[in-house]
Amino acid sequence: MALLERLQRRATDVGLLPWLVQLLPRLALLSGLVGLAWLALWLPLEGNYRHTYISENALMPSQAYSYFRETEWNLLRGFRTQIKQLVNETSSSRNEIVGSWLEEIGVKTAIHTDSDNGDTLYGVLHAPRGDGTEAMVLAAPWHNGDGDFNLGGTALATALTRYFSRWPLWSKNIIVVFSEDPKASLRSWCNAYHSSLDLTGGSIESAVVLDYPGANDFFKYVEIYYAGLNGELPNLDLVNVAVHVTEHEGMPVSINGNPESEIGDSDFYAKMRKMLLGVQKMALSGVQTCYGNEAFSGYRIQSLVVKARGTGGPFDITTFGRIPEAMFRSVNNLLEKFHQSFFFYLLLAPRYFVSIASYLPAAGAFSVSFILAGLDNYLNSAKGLSSTSNSSYYSVVTILAFVVSLLAAFTLSQVFLQWTKPLVLVTISLLVSSVPLLPIKSKFTTVYAYRFKSIAFMYLSVVLTSLLVVNFALAFGIGLLAFPMILIKNTNSLKLRFKNSLMLMATNPFVCTCIFANVFEARLQGLVVIERLISAWTQLGCWSWFVICIGWLPVWLMVVFSSIPSADERRSVQSANAKKLQ
Amino acid sequence: MRTSFVFSWALLVAQTYANVTSIDEELIIPNETDTAGTVFETCPIVTTSSETDSTSESLEAGSLFNDTTELDGAVNEEGEGDRVVLFENVEPIKYPFQEKLTLKPLPRNFMAASFQFQMSSNNLTVGEAESDFDAYRHYTVFPKALSPILEYTQTRQLHIRFTHGRWDAESWGQLPHRGSKSGGNGVELWAVIEASNKNEAFDNWISLANSLSGLFCSSINFIDIEKTTYPVLSFQPAKKESMPIFNSSNHLFLIRAALANEPICTENLTPFLKLLPTRGRAGISSLLDGHKVFDSNWHSLSIDVETRCEGIHCKYYMEEYIEMVFNVPSSLARADKPIPKPLQEDALMCDESKPHDSYECFPLPQRKETKFELSKLFGKKIIGSSLISEYPSKVCAVVSDAWNVLISVGDVFYSTDDNCFTVKDKELHDLHFESENTADIAEPDKAPIFVSRSLTGYGQDSGGLRVVFRNPGNETVTAVYFESLPWYMRLYLSSLKLESEVGLEIEDVIKSTFYLPAIDRERPTHLEFSLSIPANTSLALSYQFDKALLKYAEYPPDANHGFEIESAVVTVIEPTQYEMRTSTLLLSLSTPDFSMPYNVIILTSTIMGLAFGTLYNLMVKRLVTIEEADKKSSSRRGLKSRLLSFFSRIKRNGGKVDVEKKQQ
Repeated sequence: MALLERLQRRATDVGLLPWLVQLLPRLALLSGLVGLAWLALWLPLEGNYRHTYISENALMPSQAYSYFRETEWNLLRGFRTQIKQLVNETSSSRNEIVGSWLEEIGVKTAIHTDSDNGDTLYGVLHAPRGDGTEAMVLAAPWHNGDGDFNLGGTALATALTRYFSRWPLWSKNIIVVFSEDPKASLRSWCNAYHSSLDLTGGSIESAVVLDYPGANDFFKYVEIYYAGLNGELPNLDLVNVAVHVTEHEGMPVSINGNPESEIGDSDFYAKMRKMLLGVQKMALSGVQTCYGNEAFSGYRIQSLVVKARGTGGPFDITTFGRIPEAMFRSVNNLLEKFHQSFFFYLLLAPRYFVSIASYLPAAGAFSVSFILAGLDNYLNSAKGLSSTSNSSYYSVVTILAFVVSLLAAFTLSQVFLQWTKPLVLVTISLLVSSVPLLPIKSKFTTVYAYRFKSIAFMYLSVVLTSLLVVNFALAFGIGLLAFPMILIKNTNSLKLRFKNSLMLMATNPFVCTCIFANVFEARLQGLVVIERLISAWTQLGCWSWFVICIGWLPVWLMVVFSSIPSADERRSVQSANAKKLQ
Repeated sequence: MRTSFVFSWALLVAQTYANVTSIDEELIIPNETDTAGTVFETCPIVTTSSETDSTSESLEAGSLFNDTTELDGAVNEEGEGDRVVLFENVEPIKYPFQEKLTLKPLPRNFMAASFQFQMSSNNLTVGEAESDFDAYRHYTVFPKALSPILEYTQTRQLHIRFTHGRWDAESWGQLPHRGSKSGGNGVELWAVIEASNKNEAFDNWISLANSLSGLFCSSINFIDIEKTTYPVLSFQPAKKESMPIFNSSNHLFLIRAALANEPICTENLTPFLKLLPTRGRAGISSLLDGHKVFDSNWHSLSIDVETRCEGIHCKYYMEEYIEMVFNVPSSLARADKPIPKPLQEDALMCDESKPHDSYECFPLPQRKETKFELSKLFGKKIIGSSLISEYPSKVCAVVSDAWNVLISVGDVFYSTDDNCFTVKDKELHDLHFESENTADIAEPDKAPIFVSRSLTGYGQDSGGLRVVFRNPGNETVTAVYFESLPWYMRLYLSSLKLESEVGLEIEDVIKSTFYLPAIDRERPTHLEFSLSIPANTSLALSYQFDKALLKYAEYPPDANHGFEIESAVVTVIEPTQYEMRTSTLLLSLSTPDFSMPYNVIILTSTIMGLAFGTLYNLMVKRLVTIEEADKKSSSRRGLKSRLLSFFSRIKRNGGKVDVEKKQQ
């Protein structure tokens, strides 16, 4: 204790505290920059990431020879030709015909009817060796995320089911699912499986979604998508198995839709780009194009999408079929649940990763930055208080104001959930952002302006910290995009007010998200992202909309309040000038 | 020839029977050790080939297998009369043992094989225990291993089930023997135990479970108080009133437990074969090979022992059934090629009506015609009959007219009208099956009810159970639903809900409920519903539960894939007697990170250390103001200044010395 005491006294002697208090705004800024640099610059450096490895020994990927080849290709083509004739059929007749094929193979089938999202055909191949309590899912949506007919994928799923039925070694049931699309329809099936379906095959351990649009026999490379909803990721072991199996068959792997030209790159910038792309995909999961793995989130199902890209490459469709075959063989070996390896990770390349302890400080830094900004504002507000005024009165009013803005934000989130008008929302946001420019004077004093910002930043910091572990990418994204808010100053000068207004526009949750989506995600142009945020909640159960509305919007509202020039601003400036003159 | 034989046979029966008072007196019982060896070596052939017809007929008439489901009575009634030595010292001694193999093709090229063995013990003396020094006991065909266990645990009825796989009731119809001979996935054990009170019964039960555990190489010893239930409506013995109580002050207790998803494998089959007098080396049991039995889609090994008394003479009657379902084409294919590699191109069966060439092929449905031998399915032939038995081994095929079934003895083929064959002598027997249309089979009995159960819900702290009942028939089904759930599933019966498309209420379906709530670590939830399910309806019962947190040491030592929940049992009372199990379930409980306790210990220790340090300082140190402290610290010199002054003193001293020297 004596050491602490001495240090504290030394600090007081030197006058460290006032110095630090003065430095607070700059420290907050620095902390945010450190957070960004940590993720983007520090982590891709050699020595900060690790090579992936199979943690669970039982998986043994590619240890068994894959037999999905030779005449299985003939059968696959046979199924594909027949499915090709079903492209223009109604979904119910399509499901009926394919269902009859599955029944012939010896699979129990049923159709999950959902009038809103489309019917889903599924079949359970009961494992001859298993106890029937666990299952692996092979999903092939009729249409893939891009809206193309998943001809190769569905034909593969049928042919693979037939092929699997001949093997006696399965210890887990195999469930094959043909949903209308990989998003709402598959999610609806997954929800029904865990609540109301009569034909079930036990708890689902893993799910592989096959995406092979078109009738082409050959393709160029394989894409793997793994980012689940609400920051959920499949166990790294499953991703590793998929990557291992694919590369074992000689196919190049791209993660998160990294373009083909960058697959082979492994320098610092390539790693950085791939990792940032992964963070972006995680943050926008459910909002961006869904390929199917999102549908299984939340039920402790490890899921990923394997997608064939390109036509006329060196690899044929049975090679692609050997990926799910080998993956199923691996998962089949598991005696336990997926529990080893990592559930929180970022991939810098198919075979490089950083685990949670390494990347968490990046988002943590933003939390710290907001705490510091909040503290700075609180201390500033204390300066404006005369010794006679009652501090707790100010606090109560501040809290009340905050509650009001929280309620307003919540109401807004509910209203736009029902009444999806992104243009209205963005327009309102822009109008509100220009409030500092209006020639009005706030009745609140500067003290309130500081207090408002203080509570807002503290709240945002709490939100980000609690989101940190659950959904790192979203926490990091919000932290980064809302960061400029701490630069907004209480001022009376028109130039600064104009700057404030711009800053507010840039940090408005909706405007900012739209800008971000337009810049970084080619498929989310215009104001689509707002609609997608809402549909992600209604169809998939993705929280992002509420995190943005309840976590970010009230903070922004408070900052808007505080940036209205207050009536006493001029007075205080005048008095300051008067003091100077004296 | 035939009439004269029958006549002389009847005469001899009459003569000898007149003299017989007790079988034990009459039979010359060879030494236990001798019999084991003599099965193959010394038992002479009973029938000669000229007598084939007459013997098979008389066996037919006197067979214990008149009705597969009503076997038990037969042994009792006819056993005494027929167990007679025809020619003393010439004919071999025959024992109350019989066996039968039934083969029944099922839809979609499946085939059910049912091995049935029955035996009974010699007379027991009531009130005399195995351990009594003057006890006199013979074991003939009844397994010696079992009898002492039954005696010292005072077990009057014993039922063991080892079942694995999924019985596809929708396609295969009723379970064999109306479901009375198969359990849920894993091991199931229930017994009627005589005891003066429940505690004694439970003690006996535990020692029974532990003994059987060793006998059957299975983890039956994991049955404990947490898993044991005392069924009220289900599992009731069929002939309750005739159950003997050896001591009239005692009561009978029906106790049951199940181990869900206990793996069943060869080491469990071997003890089953060891219990047979033929030891799997003769008769139909010679077909039983672990590789083939456990390669089946569904298999069930069961043992039922009952005590039956007539006056003071009591006997154990034992039925041992080993049943399985094969997929015939894949079993045959595996016999040829163990790995199901892709077929050769010319072996592909393509649908001619769809595009097909050397690149493309839409597969045809499975072939309708079939031809195979039993030896191909089981990997070996039947090695003769069980010659120590009163009755020769029988093999029956339950097929429709579309099938042709032959038995081959050596090179000669035989057929019969009813497709039942008698296995004789020590010859190798094989069965040949041939059919033009495998879909044309003896119509399986429709299952009166379909029940499926699944876990519902989201997350680690709570969940739900959903049981779907479907009555496909035109009659209302009355049934009992039995469920025993582990205590860590905290059931809320108040959340019981009924989903039904026709608007049924809970009161319409559940007629009565027996509910014994769980006690942590002491008792499972015991739930029995009397149900009445209207004709042609489907309904779902669902209820919610909370998942309890286990104690640190209660988690399995290794990472596990979840906690097994045993299957629910549905006993249909009307319109037919039928019993079935749902599939087992896998419950995942939240599992803590087991490094957490150490983190907690480290954190608490640190905090306690800090608190202690502060408190200790406050108690032993003097409180001074900062000014005082500053004064004091400025008066107290630091190490640096002390060193400096020390050196300067030395320097000064050195200087002084020099000065002094100079002065000198």
